[in-house]
Parts: sequence; C-alpha cells; structure tokens
Amino acid sequence: MRLTPRSERAIAWTLGCYAAAVVAFLMLSGLLVLSVGGSPQAAFSALLTGALGGKAAIGNTLAKATPLLLTGLAAAIAFRARIWSIGQEGQMVFGAITGYGAVLWLGLSGPAGIVVALVAGMMGGAALGLVSGVLDVRFKINVIISTVLLNYCVGYLLSWLLQPGVWGDVGQTVSYQQSAALADSLYLPLLPGLAKVHLGAVLALVLTVVVGVTLGRTRLGFEIRGFGLNPRAMVARGVDAGRLVLVVMAASGALAGLAGIGHVLGETHRLRPDALAGFGYTGIVVALIGRSSAPGTLAAALFFGGLAAGGLTMRVVADIPSSLVTAMQGIALIAFLLAEIASGYRLVLPVREEGTPA
Amino acid sequence: MKLLEVLGLSKRFGATVANDRLTFDVLKGELHCLFGENGAGKSTVSACLTGFHRPDSGAIVFDGREVEFATPAGALDAGIGICRQHFSLVERFSVLENILLGTERRSLRFDVGRARARFGELADRLGLAVDPDTPISRLSIGERQWVEILKALYRDVRLLILDEPTAVLTPAESRRLFDVVDRLRGDGLTVILISHKLAEVMAADRVTVLRRGRAVATVRPGEVTPAELTALMMGAEPPPATARAARTKGRLMLEVEDLAVPGPRHGFRLEGAPLRVHAGEVLGIAGVAGNGQRELFDALVGLAHPAAGRVTIDGRDMTYASPAERMRAGVGSIPEDRYGDALVGDFSIAENMALGWHRSARLGRAPFLSRRRMADFARTAIERFAIRQAGPATPARALSGGNAQRVVAAREIERARHLLVANQPTRGLDVGAVAFLYDRVVEAAERGAAVVLASEEAEDLLGLCDRIAVLFKGRVVGVVDASATSLAEIGAMMAGRPA
Repeated sequence: MRLTPRSERAIAWTLGCYAAAVVAFLMLSGLLVLSVGGSPQAAFSALLTGALGGKAAIGNTLAKATPLLLTGLAAAIAFRARIWSIGQEGQMVFGAITGYGAVLWLGLSGPAGIVVALVAGMMGGAALGLVSGVLDVRFKINVIISTVLLNYCVGYLLSWLLQPGVWGDVGQTVSYQQSAALADSLYLPLLPGLAKVHLGAVLALVLTVVVGVTLGRTRLGFEIRGFGLNPRAMVARGVDAGRLVLVVMAASGALAGLAGIGHVLGETHRLRPDALAGFGYTGIVVALIGRSSAPGTLAAALFFGGLAAGGLTMRVVADIPSSLVTAMQGIALIAFLLAEIASGYRLVLPVREEGTPA
Repeated sequence: MKLLEVLGLSKRFGATVANDRLTFDVLKGELHCLFGENGAGKSTVSACLTGFHRPDSGAIVFDGREVEFATPAGALDAGIGICRQHFSLVERFSVLENILLGTERRSLRFDVGRARARFGELADRLGLAVDPDTPISRLSIGERQWVEILKALYRDVRLLILDEPTAVLTPAESRRLFDVVDRLRGDGLTVILISHKLAEVMAADRVTVLRRGRAVATVRPGEVTPAELTALMMGAEPPPATARAARTKGRLMLEVEDLAVPGPRHGFRLEGAPLRVHAGEVLGIAGVAGNGQRELFDALVGLAHPAAGRVTIDGRDMTYASPAERMRAGVGSIPEDRYGDALVGDFSIAENMALGWHRSARLGRAPFLSRRRMADFARTAIERFAIRQAGPATPARALSGGNAQRVVAAREIERARHLLVANQPTRGLDVGAVAFLYDRVVEAAERGAAVVLASEEAEDLLGLCDRIAVLFKGRVVGVVDASATSLAEIGAMMAGRPA
C-alpha cells in the first residue's frame, strides 16, 4: 500500500479524507479529555448539547462564529493572494477603536451612529492593513513581520486608551480595563428568535457571499488567485502587483475591522481587551482549515463557533476545563490540514502478480 | 546484455494517458534514444524511471532486478540519474553546493574539501571548466547544463538520462556534450537520450520511437532514413517546411534607439543604428541565449527599466510604459520561460487564456469575469491551435511543453495587433509543434504585426525572417538581410565576429 500524488481531486476521496479527519479529531480530543480524568462520552455529549442542542445553543454557536467568520474571511482573501498577513488581530482591535472613537467623537446615537461606527471600524481596519501593504510595496518590508509588530502596537494603544482619564471607565481599577458602555441605541439589533445573534451575523454571511463571488467570478478575484499561484506571470500580463497588494490588504483589514466593531456593538457594548483577544489569530486557523475559500471558511467558522459554545457547556455539565477547547482547536487544525494534504494523494493497493506467492 | 527493461509501463494523469503499456529495453553501454513528439510520453517515462513519478502499472527491471523507486533519491542510489529539461538547481547556491545537495545525507557534516577535490577531478576528466564556487545565478544556461550533468555523475550513476539536453545549448556546446557522452560511455556509462532532433537521434545506437504514450518501434539508425523515423514519430505525413513568403511592409511599428538595459551579466546595449521593424516584417534575433535577449525582450514588453534610450511602438514613446499599457497598444509577447512568466500552472486552460484579457469586455462586464465566455474563448484557441487532449478546464500543468506553448501563442498572437515579441518560443518543442508555431507567427506578420523573434536556431531564422540581428555579450554585433547571408556568417557573428 502506498500513496502517490494525484493530478485531479476526486470528490469521494476528498470527503473520505475529511471524514477521517473528523474521526481523528474526536479520538485525539477524547484522549485529551481522558487525560484530565473526564469521560469522553459525557464531554462530547455536553459539547454537542452546548453547540447544537436547541435554539439557545445554536444562537450561542452563531454568535461565537460571527467574529471568527469575518476574521477568517480577512485571512482567506490575503492567503489566496499568498500575502501572509497575520494582522487580523490588530486590525480587528483597531477597527473596534476607530468605530467606538467615531461615535464618541461625533456624539452620535441610533441607527446613524451604528452605520457610522461600522464604516469607521472597517476604515480603521483597512487603514492598518494598508500600512503593512505600503511597507511591503514601497519598502519591501515583509508582511508577516509588519503585521505581527502592528498587532502589538495596537494592543498597547488600546491599553493606553483604556486608562482612566482617556476612555477608561471612571471608577474602574487599572487592573480591570474597560471603556464606558455604549448607549442602548447603539447596540446592534438582535435577530428575532435567536438569542445573542445580532445583525453582525447577517452582515458576515452577506460578506461571505461577496468574498466568494469576488474570488471566483470577478476580474479582481482572478488577479488575486493568479497572483497567489504565479505572481511573475500575472505581472507579465499587466497586473499591477503593488496595487493588488494594497487592495487585498485594505479589503482584508476592512473585514477584520468589521469583526472588531461588530463584536463591540453586538456583544460587549464597550471596549474590553479580553473580549476582543484571540479572534484574529483564530481567524487565521479558520481560514487555513477552510482552504482559504469562502464556503470553507464559513464551515470552519461554524465549527469553531460550535466548539466555543459547547466548550462552556462542557465545563459546566461535564466539569471539564473549557481551556481544553483551545487544544481541541489545535487538534482540529492539524487533522484538517492533514486531510487537505491527503486529498491530493491517491492510495494505491499492491497488485499481486500472477505466480508470486501471496 | 540488458541493463534496463521497461515492461508494460502505464501512467495516467487524470484523463490524460501519458504512458500506455510502454515496453522497451536498453543495453549496457549503449546510447539509446527515446524519440517522439511533445506529449508522446518521453518525459513521463523518464520521471517514472527516476522516482519522480510512480507508474500506475507495469514493471521496471534494472540490472536484472525489478525495482520500484519511491523517491528520486532511491533511483539515484540504485544508479539511475537524470538531467531534466527544467533545471533543478538552487540559483543562490554555488555550483559545489548544488552538487552536494542531497548527496551527503548519511552524515551530518559535509566533507567539503573532499567533495571539492572529487568535483575537480570529475570536471577535469570530462574537460568541463566549471568553477565550483560560482553561484548558479551567474552561469549561462549552457553552463547550468554542465552542472546538471556533473551533479548526476557525482553520484556514480550507471544509467544517465538526458532529457532534451541540447534544447538550450549552442551547436558548439552540443558537439561538446556528445564528446563528453562518448567519453562517459567509454567508461562504461549507459545513456538514454531524449530528443526530437533528427541529427542527434541518428547518432544513437538504437532508437525507440514513442507515439501517444506507446513504443511504436525500436530501430537502429543505420537501418532507417530520417524521413522514415519522422513518419514513425508522427504516424502521418511530416509537416511541410515553412517557406518565407513575400510580405508587404507597412508602417514603422517598433523603433529601438540607444537602448541600455541593465542585467546580471552584461545586460543589453544598443549603440549606433537604431533597430527598426515595420508592420509585416519579421526581425530575427540570433545569438546564444544569455547574450542580452532577455533584457531586450523585457524592455520591449515593459518588464525592465531601461537605464537609457528609447522604445517607440507604433509612433508612441513606450520606453517606460507598463506591460498593461503596451498590451492595450497591441503588443503580444511569448516569453522564454513559459511556466515561469506566461502561464499559471494551477490555472485551467480557460483561465490561462484569460490572462491579460481578464479586464477586457470580451470576457465579461466589469467587475465580473464570465466563466462561459472564458470557456468559449479557450475552445476557439484549442481548436485553432490544435491543442490536443485538452478542454477549457484542463489545468495548464497537465499539458506537455508543446501544448502549453500553444496556449501561450494562441493568447499572445491574438493580442499582437501591432507587435509580437517572442523569445526562444520553440525551445523544447518537436518538429511538428515548431512548424505550427512558425506558421502562426508568419500569419501574425501577414496580418500586419511587426514581429521580433529571438531564437538560437539560426537556421530557422534564416528561413523565416526578413532581417536578422545577432547578439553577443549584450551587444548587437550586426544586422543582416536574411536573403543575403548564410548560416556560416551568422554562426561567426554569434561567436562575436562582426559581419
């Protein structure tokens, strides 16, 4: 038995690979649960109940999936162009800052305030993305490095902004940084019937379609995909590489910025570093599992949303630390990446020749 | 005595059958030629023999034992080495580092001193002067070929496969290669030569002719005529030779004056008389590759930034115009490195045909790109350029070299309303594909485009061009009238002697 590369993917084999990844994920996660003295059966049943058991659970899953879908799309669109931006974390926080700052500065409330905040959040994220884009195009500074460093800069900017006397909530101690809460009229409306799911989820779904159509069926998407596969050929055929990098970085930043301000307006209703942390980095994992495609990213975001929602239930019901969920996300990433690689191969069974003993 | 037997070997890539129950054998010490058109399966079988691919079925018997190679390293350990058409050298590494790549796997330390001595001895024995410390990026294509060969020989192979080695060599270098091959065979090496050049094929001990993945015959060159061999390869009548037809000369399309383009070796520099090409005219650029063709080509299509001089296309100063601007002005280009600069391997034929056309209204209304129109556009090209065994959805990387070049040519000739620039467009193509491509180029000129065609095949240029400019070390040695010159004169100019 051996593996040989295949030139074209076969649907059945690919599905099989991903099914095997799910099984491997469950088995390894089960071992992890056993290792902390829990019962895998109880853990998974709690996980499933918390993720999909009833309207409230599904609402939880969707709410957790919303920011991940947006940061995932942000990563996906950059990765398709082989621009290794890992700045979603910083762009997301920066979007939250600019969106929140805009309504604060303009003193807006109501629907107009929401629209201004969302637009300002996207612009903030896009601007930060453009900073890395310009550094790359103009000064040849590696995107990985500039985005990582900017992530830190934005993190410290937020810490500074949340000092008492800047945006920090008056009366709060320094160890518990947060801004003042937004007016109720600036909350993103919740979807009827689904507790916790706010308008941001709808926006994220619409943007999933937009990203999918852009990548697959537009001139820009053609350039993005081609640039990712062979930038030299694209440049030789008239694509302006610098412009393309800027467009992609701006679009990616805008999606991440929307994830940030959407999360603030829809869920936390104030700036809180701990509530924003991690979505950007997890979005990278979501995009990688989703093979940087729009539908794949949607599926991966829902999966991770379910893990996050179910993880809480798992802790409460099965008494298993919810921090295991982070480890399970890692296991999922490895399993799905392996499935992605395996789907490019073919399993060849040895053919027994006549005359040779079995 | 048989050193190698290939028995019923089959290899499929998706719907494409590259090798179909291929059977042939190679005797110890012989020079065995695999002869066939592009896509006949020559490169695939050599990849199977050297562990780059695994056959779907069939057997390989080497030195009396059935072998199965999981990796190229496994094949090398068994004693089979290859020099591939596409070089597998690390450009930033020195010659010696490239030779050592993958050799000293069993120990953590390289014994560089010993390796250097062994390399020097090997190079001396073959009479190849290659400096072990020069980075590959500073070597000419011809010199890189020597490194590839030395790399295989360094591993003490008993069977060496040369995959179209002379495609990138000058006639003089090719002769030297065959001298080296003779010397190696004297030392007991067996050589498989993959080629579609009749002159080389006729020098082999035996020839196995491949057609559509199968071995149609194994013959001794003394027993057949070149015409019979060609007929075996094509399975039909050989194509008629392209003749230079009288074309009407139109307005001035391209003028290059005092151009200086920097490059890694000597760049390109034009002094004195400007190069002028009129509509309907074909200007040949003769010269060994690496003598400034690439720099000139890049300056014509907008990929290089000239240090001085002027490029005027159809009356407009385009010296610093972007590739996109030139494309809009009707400039088509067929670059030297088709997979590097002209195609996206993982894109389908339809998507590759759309490259550069993707912002034009013929493929969809902005901002969209219509998949249906892309497929239609590709189907027209597939039909007009006779791209075999392929549809709009076939990925470019699954195409043979000849078919891949047809995709590029179809796209660029469509674009070349005013100017077509082609750099070594026939490199690695077989007789049929070369003739087909030349016919299309001539058609483009007849339709009113000016054509600049760089090729190392001076003989082809003589039959095809109106005038020929000869490059040597980045300079134009001279421009001659194709009807008033000879191969000998051009050959002398290619070596740097002005006319």
